[in-house]
Amino acid sequence: MNRKLKIAVYSGEIPSTTFIERLIKGIAKTGSAVYLFGAKKKSIAYTDNISVVAYKHNKFSKLFTLIKYSVLLFLFRNNDKKKLDQIIASTSNNLVYSKVKFYPVLWVKPDVFHLQWAKALREWSWVRQFGIKLVLSLRGAHINYSPIANHDLAEMYNTYFPKVDGFHAVSNAIAKEALKYGAELSKIQTVYSGLDINNFSEIKKTKQPVFNIVSVGRSHWVKGYSYAIDACKILKDSGLEFKYTVVGVSKNIELVHHVHDLKLTHNISLVDKQPFEQIKQLIANADVFLLPSLKEGVANVVLEAMALRTIVISTDCGGMSELIDNERNGYLIPIRNAVQMAEKLMVISNLDSQNKNKITDQAYRTINEKFTSDQMIAGMIDLYNSVLKDT
Amino acid sequence: MSRKITNKPTIGIVLISVPSYSETFFQNKIKGLSQNGFNVILFVDYLKNFETRPPCKIIRASNYDGSKLNRLLNASKAILSAIFINPIKSFKLFKLDRKDGLPFKLCLKNVIRNQPFFKAHIDWLHFGFGTLTFNRENVAEVINAKMAVSFRGFDLYLSPLKHHDCYATLFDKNIRYHVLCNEMKTTLKTYHVNEEKIRIIPPAIDVDFFNSSAVKRNESEIINFTTVSRLHWKKGLVYTLEALAILKNKGLNFKFTIIGTGEEQERLVFAAYQLGILDDVIFAGKYSKEQVKDQLEQTNVYIQYSTQEGFCNAVLEAQSMGLLCVVSNAEGLSENVLHDQTGWVVQKRNPLALADRILKVLELSEDKKSNVRDRARMRAKNEFNLSIQETSFIEFYKS
Repeated sequence: MNRKLKIAVYSGEIPSTTFIERLIKGIAKTGSAVYLFGAKKKSIAYTDNISVVAYKHNKFSKLFTLIKYSVLLFLFRNNDKKKLDQIIASTSNNLVYSKVKFYPVLWVKPDVFHLQWAKALREWSWVRQFGIKLVLSLRGAHINYSPIANHDLAEMYNTYFPKVDGFHAVSNAIAKEALKYGAELSKIQTVYSGLDINNFSEIKKTKQPVFNIVSVGRSHWVKGYSYAIDACKILKDSGLEFKYTVVGVSKNIELVHHVHDLKLTHNISLVDKQPFEQIKQLIANADVFLLPSLKEGVANVVLEAMALRTIVISTDCGGMSELIDNERNGYLIPIRNAVQMAEKLMVISNLDSQNKNKITDQAYRTINEKFTSDQMIAGMIDLYNSVLKDT
Repeated sequence: MSRKITNKPTIGIVLISVPSYSETFFQNKIKGLSQNGFNVILFVDYLKNFETRPPCKIIRASNYDGSKLNRLLNASKAILSAIFINPIKSFKLFKLDRKDGLPFKLCLKNVIRNQPFFKAHIDWLHFGFGTLTFNRENVAEVINAKMAVSFRGFDLYLSPLKHHDCYATLFDKNIRYHVLCNEMKTTLKTYHVNEEKIRIIPPAIDVDFFNSSAVKRNESEIINFTTVSRLHWKKGLVYTLEALAILKNKGLNFKFTIIGTGEEQERLVFAAYQLGILDDVIFAGKYSKEQVKDQLEQTNVYIQYSTQEGFCNAVLEAQSMGLLCVVSNAEGLSENVLHDQTGWVVQKRNPLALADRILKVLELSEDKKSNVRDRARMRAKNEFNLSIQETSFIEFYKS
C-alpha cells in the first residue's frame, strides 16, 4: 500500500464542523489526497492535497456540475455512468440532484469514501459497487437516539450496517450502540477525537468575581440545559453566588423562558455563538465547565476545557466516562439529575486551589496522552488501511 | 373611534389561518357570534386548505408569501390600491405609524401590507393573538373600528421574551383586552394596562359531548394516565415522564397515553427510553374528538403538567368527564382546576411533587374521589359551557 491514498471525507457541506475539519487537515498532512464533496457554503484555503469537488446551493452551479461530470463520465467511463444511472433510477426520488451529488464521486473514484453521518448511509451505499470502500463514522444523534424514536431509520441501519466496510466510532459506548443495528464488531474501530494541545496552553486565566460556570454547545434538547437551569435554582436557593453562561443558545425560547420562570436572569446568561478564541477564553476563566448532556459520544468541547485546565463536570452520558475518570481528572454525575448536579457544583465551589490543580493537571495529562490530533489521525489512517488491506 | 355601534355589529376577527377543527375556542366563538346574528369577517394571513369552513366571510389579510413573482404582483396591486382606492386611509395609517416612531420604510410597508383591512366595514377589529397586532396597531383607528386583542398564553408570556417590548406600542392604545384567567389579567396590569379595559372570558367546551355517562372506570391493576396536548416543550411532558418513572420505581403499574403530535416526539421517546418507561408510554398521535372522549372514558387520572399554559381546554374536557385531574400551577391552570376541590394543583417543574401527588390521589377513598369528580363535573358544566362564553363575548362587544 505505498501509493498515495485517495480519501473522500463526506459530511454534505463544506466547510464541516470544527472536528471534521481538523480530521480533514490531519489526513492531508499524512500525504494522502483528500477529496471533499457536497455543497460549498464558503471557500476555504486548503492545502494542495485537499481537493474540493463541490457545487454551490444555486441552480446554475448544480447545472454546471451536472454537465461537466456527465460529459467526463460519458467520454471516459461510460459503462460506470450507465451502471450508476441504473442505481439512481431504482433508488432515488430526485434523479437530477442525485446525479449532481454522485457523479463527481464516481469520477474521482476515491479508495475510501468516509461518510460522517449515518442517516445518509442508504443514499451512499452504491459506492461499494464501484470498488470504493465505505467507512461510516458513528456520531451523536444519528446513533444514540434518532433510531430509538424512528423505527424506519432503525430498519435502514439494520439493512445497511452489515454492508459497511469499516466503522469509525467516536467512543466505545457508541460502538456498542451500533452493534444493536447489525454493525460487525471486528469492523468497528474506536478513534477518539483529538486536538493540538499547544493551541490551548497559552491562554491566561482571569479570576472572576463569583463562582463561574460555563457550558458551550448547540441549541438542542440533548444538551440537557434544562437540568442545568434547574440545578442553578437549587444553587441560588442555597445562597451560593454564581454566574452561569451558556454559549450558543441565546435564541432558545424554552431556555429563555425557563431562566425567566425561575427568576434566574441575574445568574444565568444565555448568549449567542462566539468566535473560537473567545470561547477558549471564556472556558479558561471559568471555575467549572459543565456538560449536562443527555447523550454524547465524547463531547469535543470537554477535551478543550480539559486542555484549558478548567474543571469539568459532565453527565455520565454515552462515552464521557472513557474520557473522565470520576474525581481524578474531572467529575461524573448521573444524567437527568439536577439535584446531584447542584451538589457537585457546590462541592467544587468549596474546593481549595491545591485540589483544583490536582484535578486540572490530571485532566491536561489525559488529553496530552490520549486525545491528541496525532493519535486521531494515526487511528483513522489505520482504519482506512484495514479496510483496504484486501484490495 | 366615532363609529356608532349598532345592535348587531360586524366583528372582524384576525387570525393566522382559518381555525382547524381542534381550535375549539375560535370555532366556538365564530359559530356563537354568527348564531346570535352578528356579522363576522375572518381575516387570515394564510388561506391554506382548511378542514371546516366557518360560517363567515374570509379575507386574506396578507398575501406576500409564495414565489417572487406572486409577491411582486400582490405588492403592485396593494400599491395601486393605496394610491387610487384608499389614499386617505393609507395616508392616515402612515401618519399614525410615524407618530408611534416607526421607521419611514416600515410605515410604507405597513400601508401596503394592511390594504386588505381597508375595504371592510367593521365595528370591531379583534386580534385573536397579541402577536397578530405587530405593525397593525393603528389599523382599527384608520378604518374607524374599535380594537380588541385576545391574549392566549404564549403571546403574553413567551413572545415578550423573544421580542423585548414587543407590545409597547399596543399597550399605549385605547383598546379592549380579552384574557383567559385572572393570572393573565394580573400580568397585563404589570404592563400598566388599565384593568377596566381587561375582560376575563375563560374558554368553554361542549359539556354535553364531554359528559360522564359512558365512563368505563378501569378496575384492573394497570392505572391509566392520559395527557392531551401538542408535543411541545411548554407542556412539561419530560417532567411528567420523570414523575411517572419515579412511580414505576415504586412499583406502580401504569399506562400513560399522550394524545397529540408535535416537534418534540424524538425528545420524549428518548426520555421515556432513558427513564426506563418506554413500554409504559403510548404516543397515540392525533385523535378525533370521539377518540379523545373514548380515551378519557378509560382514564384514571388526567395529567396536565405544563410549564406555561393560558388555561387549557383539554383539562376542562377531562373535568367535564368527571376525571381526577392533576395539573401544574402554570398561569391559568390553577384557576382551571381548584386545588383539592375539582382536582389537584402541583408546583411546576417538580417531578417528585407530581409523583407524590399522583400517589396520594390514587390512595384516596372512593368517597373523596367521587366528591372531587362531582365538583369538577358540575363546575365545568356551570361555568365553562358554550352559552356562557357566547353571552360573555356579546357583552364584550356591547361595552
